[in-house]
Amino acid sequence: MENKLPFVDVLKDIHGYQRKADLGSFEYSHKAEITNVYPLTSNEKLYQIQIVDPDMRRRFTFQPGQFVMLEVPGVGEAPFSISSSPIRHGDIELCIRNVGNLTNFLARVERGVQVGITGPFGTSFPLKEMMGQNIFLIAGGLGIAPLRSPILSVLENRSRYANVDIIYGARQPSELLFTYQYDMWRKFDISLDIIVEKPDAQWKGPVGLSTDILRKKLAEPDGSLSNNTYAIVCGPPVMFKFVCNMLTEAGIPMQKMFVSLERRMHCGRGKCCRCNVGSTYTCLKGPVFDYWSVMNLKEAI
Amino acid sequence: MIFRLINKRELRELFDVLAENRIIGPVQKGTSHDGKALYAFEPVFDFDDLKLDYTSTARPAKRYFLPSHETLCTFSVHENGWEKTVDFNIHEPHVFFGMHACDINALDKLDKVLLESNFPTPYYAAKRKNMFIIGVECTPQPSCFCRSMGTDSAFHGFDMFLTDLGDSYFVEVQSATAFNFLKNIRTREPKEKDHARYMKVVADKNSMFTTSVDTTDLAKILDMEFQSDVWKYWGDRCLSCGTCASVCPTCYCYGVEESVDIDLKGAKKKKHLYSCNLIDFAEVAGGHNFRPESHSRLKYRYYHKHRGFMEEFEESLCVGCGRCSEACLAKITVPEVIASVRSGVKPKGKKGRHGK
Amino acid sequence: MPVDNYLGVPLHRPKVAFFEFTACEGCQLQILNNEATLLDFLSLVEVVAFREAMTERSDDYEIAFVEGSITRADEAKRLKEIRKKAKVLVAMGSCACFGGVNQLKNRFNNNKWVKEQVYGKFPVESEEARPLEDVVTVDLNIYGCPIKKEEVEKIVTNLVLGKSVSHPKYPVCMECMANENICLYKMGEPCLGPVTRAGCDAWCPGSRFGCWGCRGPADAANVEQIISIMEEHKFSADTIIDRLECFGGFKKFAGELKKRTAKSKSKKKRAAK
Repeated sequence: MENKLPFVDVLKDIHGYQRKADLGSFEYSHKAEITNVYPLTSNEKLYQIQIVDPDMRRRFTFQPGQFVMLEVPGVGEAPFSISSSPIRHGDIELCIRNVGNLTNFLARVERGVQVGITGPFGTSFPLKEMMGQNIFLIAGGLGIAPLRSPILSVLENRSRYANVDIIYGARQPSELLFTYQYDMWRKFDISLDIIVEKPDAQWKGPVGLSTDILRKKLAEPDGSLSNNTYAIVCGPPVMFKFVCNMLTEAGIPMQKMFVSLERRMHCGRGKCCRCNVGSTYTCLKGPVFDYWSVMNLKEAI
Repeated sequence: MIFRLINKRELRELFDVLAENRIIGPVQKGTSHDGKALYAFEPVFDFDDLKLDYTSTARPAKRYFLPSHETLCTFSVHENGWEKTVDFNIHEPHVFFGMHACDINALDKLDKVLLESNFPTPYYAAKRKNMFIIGVECTPQPSCFCRSMGTDSAFHGFDMFLTDLGDSYFVEVQSATAFNFLKNIRTREPKEKDHARYMKVVADKNSMFTTSVDTTDLAKILDMEFQSDVWKYWGDRCLSCGTCASVCPTCYCYGVEESVDIDLKGAKKKKHLYSCNLIDFAEVAGGHNFRPESHSRLKYRYYHKHRGFMEEFEESLCVGCGRCSEACLAKITVPEVIASVRSGVKPKGKKGRHGK
Repeated sequence: MPVDNYLGVPLHRPKVAFFEFTACEGCQLQILNNEATLLDFLSLVEVVAFREAMTERSDDYEIAFVEGSITRADEAKRLKEIRKKAKVLVAMGSCACFGGVNQLKNRFNNNKWVKEQVYGKFPVESEEARPLEDVVTVDLNIYGCPIKKEEVEKIVTNLVLGKSVSHPKYPVCMECMANENICLYKMGEPCLGPVTRAGCDAWCPGSRFGCWGCRGPADAANVEQIISIMEEHKFSADTIIDRLECFGGFKKFAGELKKRTAKSKSKKKRAAK
């Protein structure tokens, strides 16, 4: 049959495992086990997820700010920022709020369940460039989830950074995440300010918005912010817009401020277009953007 | 490039040689109420069904390389875990007999994002690499503006390309496979006068375009006119039905849906091509919609096609095939939208919603 | 033995009951008309009442699937009883969701005349046909005339898994195009596909039968626009009104168009005088 065209098997040509260029990696997910589930609040839980294959677990490396796609067969797949330290490799932690199909199912899952993990995907916070400088880490609400990985990374390399200030705002005390870690963070010479909008009877801390704390901090100048400070801001668009504007006024250059954007993704690989902001793929060019880039993205804020 | 000349009668021979494979080509699928032939890319078993002089197909051949629905993988599920099976959903090569230059250019553009950038998609790759493409020169239709988009001729992405010279076809031979197939039929080297005939046919074609789009600085203009009221006018007309994306040869956006089998012992992950004009395209878990208004979605579509892709690949994602203009019941056409965005003037004589 | 968990998450097998009011019972038939998966369906749920399929019945149920529209006072009373017992009340089919073809009788203002024409001398109590939601709170709609069995199976599987049930928000055109159908407007036929909620896999347009809107409006349905498109295609006001009115999902738009048409008719009449 000389006139029969030969069938080209695209997977045959694959040499080695180059994640980004490898056709075989597209639908490949690491099997991972949910090894533990901590309830953080009534709506959020922290999932410890471990890639089952020990070799793959070791080879799984990521940078703070990157995300993974988590899949539960038949239930759904969605992107989640990694909340754990990069030194733990493929033994990751994800902080998940139950808002949709997948997350509602996850809320009912107990430890031992097998899920699929792909990634890591996307851009990260440039923690190496930040070395030697002061860092503001400012989170609103669930924004603390993507912020926890850079926080842990800074803690592990504390000597390499100058002043580290965390400002964390939540609607009410019951919505505060990672409460059990605040003391530890403070012991590592980190200034941690927590503020809520609606206090309850037990609340002894400040009441208001994270910008209230930030305003005070920026009022007590220690040197010029323009050349010694970086900022990472995570939270709802209204919040990071206000915060970044304040920081800009205080002199921090826009390209030294980083935000993490959140969009629905169906692939995480720059194909489905669902996460596009303007015409920029959040999954490829983000989720971490410097504020200059965000300002230039149509429909970002 | 190697050129050949074949007598028209020989094409039937070539078809028969290729017929050992599955052949997809333009056939007449029906007649419209006003008497126009309606064409579609369908499997062809008889050379006489193949309409190489077709005007344009209502739908591109997209379903053969980017099907509207595709199972990405299946799972077998048990109490403690699951196994995943991936299938790229193609098992034999296809011959595409009679694609116009716009559709070949569309494939080249899709290659850029689906094959040649990071995370190439194997579902597309498997199908694309198993396409044997015979292009054919077209006759510009009233809604065609490929010449404005620089996609009125194809330079690569096909195996051979036919231009009708009346009694014979001028053949551009792009691949070794095509060259080998041509050995089965009688061909000859084109002479100077054949070149001249070819040039004349192409020049005649170029003089037949009636629609054009001014693409000068379009990417910048879209940025500048992001807040223009013109978008609202078009948004009011838009049905948000997604037909423009369905008929577009380059629209590749999709959604993924997972479902559990009714016996709870298996699951499926399915992809279906979506459209950015659909209401929930930019909706996130929890219900927030980043583009709730029709005009913001329509604008996004233009923004992606003519700016985003430009930024990434230095070219537009639109090939000017005019299918969306033909298919849109609300008569929203790319040339008119772009002209109105450039001028800031809404077209006259057409009413938006509520007669505005 | 029914599967009692999914990936280790325990599942609850709900007790379900089927009821019908003014309807053809075609939707219930769709569920039974499904030999290949009927057993799997029955192992997902425990059917405690289903008049069309079984004789035993119990009033102890969590999910009530209700077919039909409400056309009599006793139906309304019975529906309220069902609502009290059911945790989840599902309106099944166009009649339950929008009134369905039954509500076409509402277009005749003279109910007495209609009764005489249809039932002769027999005294039949019959009010305007109403969708379930006019009488009770409906938790979930399953659209279509009839409903699509695959969709019901998916919905029930999702209910058992605790997944939310979501309908396509886009219109029928998406499915029609996916099936490579020729647009019926090209063939000179009216069609409500561009504004009707998808989920039917473009059942009618696929058979070259224009959509009549049995699943009601899609989420971003631009109905005014499709009306003017139909007018541009020279379809008469009566043709358009018939289509919009048929299943009740587009009742509001049909009413507006009727008013508009009546106005322009009387204008023309006056002008003629």
